[in-house]
Amino acid sequence: MTEYILHLLILITIYVLLAQSLSLTTGFAGMISLAHAGFYGIGAYATAILSVNYHLPFILTLPIGMLFCGIIALIVSIIALRIVDDYFIICTLGIQIVIFSIMNNCMSLTNGPMGIPGIPSIVIFGIDFSSKFLFLILCLGLLISFFNILRKVIKSNFGRVLIALSEDEIYTQSTGKNVYNYKVIAFTISAMIAAVPGVLYAHYITYIDPSSFTVDESIFILSIVIIGGMRNLWGILFATAFLVLLPEALRFVGLPNNIAANLRQIVYGIILIAVIFKSGSNFSIFKKKN
Amino acid sequence: MSQVIFNILYSSAIISLLAVSFNIIFISAKFLNLAHAAIITFAGYFCYLFYYQLNLSIWFASAIGIAFSIIIGLIIELIIYRSLRKRKKSASLMLITSLGLYVILQNFISMIWGDDTKTIRISDVKIGNEILGVYYTNIQLATIFLCISLFILAILFLQFHKIGKNIRAVSANSELANIQGINSNLIILWACGIGSALSAVAGILVSLDTGLSPVVGFNLLLYGVVAMVIGGVGSYWGLIWGALLLGSAQHLTAYAIDSKWMNAVTYIILILFLIWKPLGFSGVRLKKTEI
Repeated sequence: MTEYILHLLILITIYVLLAQSLSLTTGFAGMISLAHAGFYGIGAYATAILSVNYHLPFILTLPIGMLFCGIIALIVSIIALRIVDDYFIICTLGIQIVIFSIMNNCMSLTNGPMGIPGIPSIVIFGIDFSSKFLFLILCLGLLISFFNILRKVIKSNFGRVLIALSEDEIYTQSTGKNVYNYKVIAFTISAMIAAVPGVLYAHYITYIDPSSFTVDESIFILSIVIIGGMRNLWGILFATAFLVLLPEALRFVGLPNNIAANLRQIVYGIILIAVIFKSGSNFSIFKKKN
Repeated sequence: MSQVIFNILYSSAIISLLAVSFNIIFISAKFLNLAHAAIITFAGYFCYLFYYQLNLSIWFASAIGIAFSIIIGLIIELIIYRSLRKRKKSASLMLITSLGLYVILQNFISMIWGDDTKTIRISDVKIGNEILGVYYTNIQLATIFLCISLFILAILFLQFHKIGKNIRAVSANSELANIQGINSNLIILWACGIGSALSAVAGILVSLDTGLSPVVGFNLLLYGVVAMVIGGVGSYWGLIWGALLLGSAQHLTAYAIDSKWMNAVTYIILILFLIWKPLGFSGVRLKKTEI
């Protein structure tokens, strides 16, 4: 039972980090992105390939994974951010599908639908993090540090410009800020942070395949952010806990596994629509009261 | 090679029908309605339900399937989109709503019918007919014929029928249309009905040819959206060119490299177009930002 609770806590931590990283692009900079599961997957695949094929330690794979994800996000965002609104969403959807299809079809690199098994557990300075309890502590440590980094970023001048441009892009531009650069940087940072939960996930499950990084996953992450409140890092924490625990609760009620999975998605779809109904007319859903 | 050309023709016909069905809703309601994907899937599953599980004739089953799809499209518009529009939500939020709706409907389908692939057979399995080295089935031939004629009908409808003209009026400027006495809510409802009907036909035809799974609609719809974007919204010739380009790209990829890269190539084309030619072939400008 303790193992089970620890497992759920680890999943929640991973998803909180993932959703909070998306909140930087979607909540603060106002760019709705459906490519986030792709970047999460790039992080996972980077660490899997590096540690299985080249036996690199976690200390190295984490920064390399982040860097690699950042470079891809930088290239993608330089291209994609030239378009706005709906077309940007469709474009990120396209990027997500291209990334997925590379994971699924590039047999020589990613082993295709069979996935990569046998990812070693994390060892840092001789400490083996294979037990769930230690792994949870590692996850929490990373979560807290990135939570603080995100808070710092948001409180900084950079974060204020992001909020300003999501409220009124043309006005922000007229004050002399290079809106395009700010957006590209925000998108890249967010993708780099998304690589961290990917790396953790790969080492935790020890096996990855493309089915964990589909469009549905992207929609799920986006829903967490919207339900939690676009700019509310604590709200995202509670929303994640709720949405991750929901299928377990449905299982406890006694529903079979596949129906519980479908029902969970239906429930989060309904919550998503309800939240949009309740929200204001623009992106900021739970406006912070100053 | 002639087989490739036939396949291109087949895909392009379906994609153009999907593109026009999506386009009708998009130009009038002015947001990308991704819940449309669920309507395509629903049409196929209703057809499966009435033909296979209730043993009705295929024509009757298709008719009921189309009717039910229209009803679902109208209900979504009446209950959800209309009230969101009344609350003045931005187009991006409407898009997210439609994604949420898609998730709900798709999971509803897989809850009822399961996740496995269903096939609808209306005749015995055979190799298919052959002319000039091209193998085809009767359904594929009927699909090409039906899709092209429905596409032309839809365009004639938009161009000459009173409701079609009103749809174009609402798409050009809904406030001015309202002043002229056109009820834009009613017109959007009409557009949703017509769009749903057209996409339902495409959904049923595809499910007869290649089978059904709960996610079949999303891929099809995205092809339609891509064709619409590369063709340029609001231009009928653009839609045809977009569909042809997409169909050719997909099947030439399948012919030259491997069919598993078809999706990637589709979206790479979309991304390239969005970057270098965001207005599509036709270059008709959509009002995205107004100062």
